[in-house]
Amino acid sequence: MKKKKMIISQETMDVDFVRKVEALSDTSVRRCFQCGKCSAGCPMATFMEHPPNRVVRLLQLGQWRRIIEGRSIWYCASCETCSTRCPNKVHLASIMDALRKLSWDADGPSKESYVQLANKLFLQNIRTYGRQYEMRLAAVFNVKSGQFLKDLMLGPKLLAKGKLKMFHSKNKNLSEIEKIFSRIEEMRKNGKAL
Amino acid sequence: MTNDLKYSYYPGCSLHASAGEYDLSTRELFRHLGIGLTEIPDWFCCGATPAHNVDELLSLSLCAKNLELADSIEGDVAVACAACFSRLKTAQHILGENDVKRKQVEQALDAPLKLDGNVKHLLEILAKDLGLERLAASVNKPLTGLKVACYYGCLLTRPTDVPNLDCAEAPTIMEKIIEAVGAETVAWTHRLECCGANFTLSRPGVVIQLTNAILDAAKAAGADCIMVGCPLCHGNLDIRQKEIEKVYSTSYDLPVFYLTQLVGLSVGLSPENLGLGAMIVSPFPLLTEKKLMETSLLDNQVSLPGIR
Repeated sequence: MKKKKMIISQETMDVDFVRKVEALSDTSVRRCFQCGKCSAGCPMATFMEHPPNRVVRLLQLGQWRRIIEGRSIWYCASCETCSTRCPNKVHLASIMDALRKLSWDADGPSKESYVQLANKLFLQNIRTYGRQYEMRLAAVFNVKSGQFLKDLMLGPKLLAKGKLKMFHSKNKNLSEIEKIFSRIEEMRKNGKAL
Repeated sequence: MTNDLKYSYYPGCSLHASAGEYDLSTRELFRHLGIGLTEIPDWFCCGATPAHNVDELLSLSLCAKNLELADSIEGDVAVACAACFSRLKTAQHILGENDVKRKQVEQALDAPLKLDGNVKHLLEILAKDLGLERLAASVNKPLTGLKVACYYGCLLTRPTDVPNLDCAEAPTIMEKIIEAVGAETVAWTHRLECCGANFTLSRPGVVIQLTNAILDAAKAAGADCIMVGCPLCHGNLDIRQKEIEKVYSTSYDLPVFYLTQLVGLSVGLSPENLGLGAMIVSPFPLLTEKKLMETSLLDNQVSLPGIR
């Protein structure tokens, strides 16, 4: 990402968004005193343009657009190391969840499409089948992401070992899961949930 | 051996496909130890990482629904997968202390929540409920001379207050179990590092880099094999191992066992019943070298068909 000069002013600081993040994650970004322990232990920091401690700093300054335009939040592996090691109880893994949720809902501008595509297919599978079927997940991911040859050599090996299921069934009580999905959608439409 | 332990069993999606040997060895081991295991009827996917990553309410609702299904079966909930374990425990924790979220989930399920079931990982059941003494007493083929690197990964112990399985930064539960069945453990650096988990689908390059560091550390510590309690860690360490060796021009040749497979071997279960044939990095040369399997069996075992 090109480095843009950051101007801190009332116009550029959007605190409403930060409040939403705090409500969703049930944690306060203001508790962070930038010790950097989260980024020191983060296995994915090397792949991010904003390491975890900077994500919190940007939130403190109301500069959330910088975060969701980048790929940092999508490269978080949810390993919970940051939350475990934070000396001041900032639950950073939950903040990442909240940021992804808000970015996802807004069909955010991040260029990191592979991770988002994988998440989308994963959730679709739950709604359609009730459970996850890895073979289907991987096959559809490859087609939709245009990487037809990705991990192609693994397929036959896994099949021979009985590790891929060619056929799968739907849960008998699938209608119950559909109800959960549609109730949540309705709640969001009526403004009863974020 | 009989005892009064009974559990409802939540295998999770991976155990019905890519981690079939974990499911098989868990059922065989528990039957052998006389621990009751009844699969929760029509369980759903817990949502795993993707659900809570973009939709926490959905993740909480799916977990609450599974706990409700588990409620119909006597006993605590036994979970094999570290991710399912973490999600179910986290849902219980959040719904227990956040009233707003609890009300939302009640509305999504359109029913009062039944969250009281005690969720336990297999490690907890073996080490605490059954107990290390009883476990050690059931060993008849101790894993003498086998050097095991116990790999916890992320979700078994982190964060501090939720899974409550063991200390988040210096756990010992895996080491205690595997030492109780006669194996040796190695001290190593990467037992709590992340393997890249579900990036295996979207960004395999990430997984290759992170998992390589783990394999490298295990090898450097002098381990013969790695033991895991999570199907995703297993997928990355075992299925991707050959690819990693190629990328980094090195050779690890480290078989990756599920904890139930190693404990199963020590109580005398056969390689077929533990699904050892399904491992991509073959464990048979190692097991014959350490005299944990008869050499005469080797030829048959190598061509074991994997999981039925």
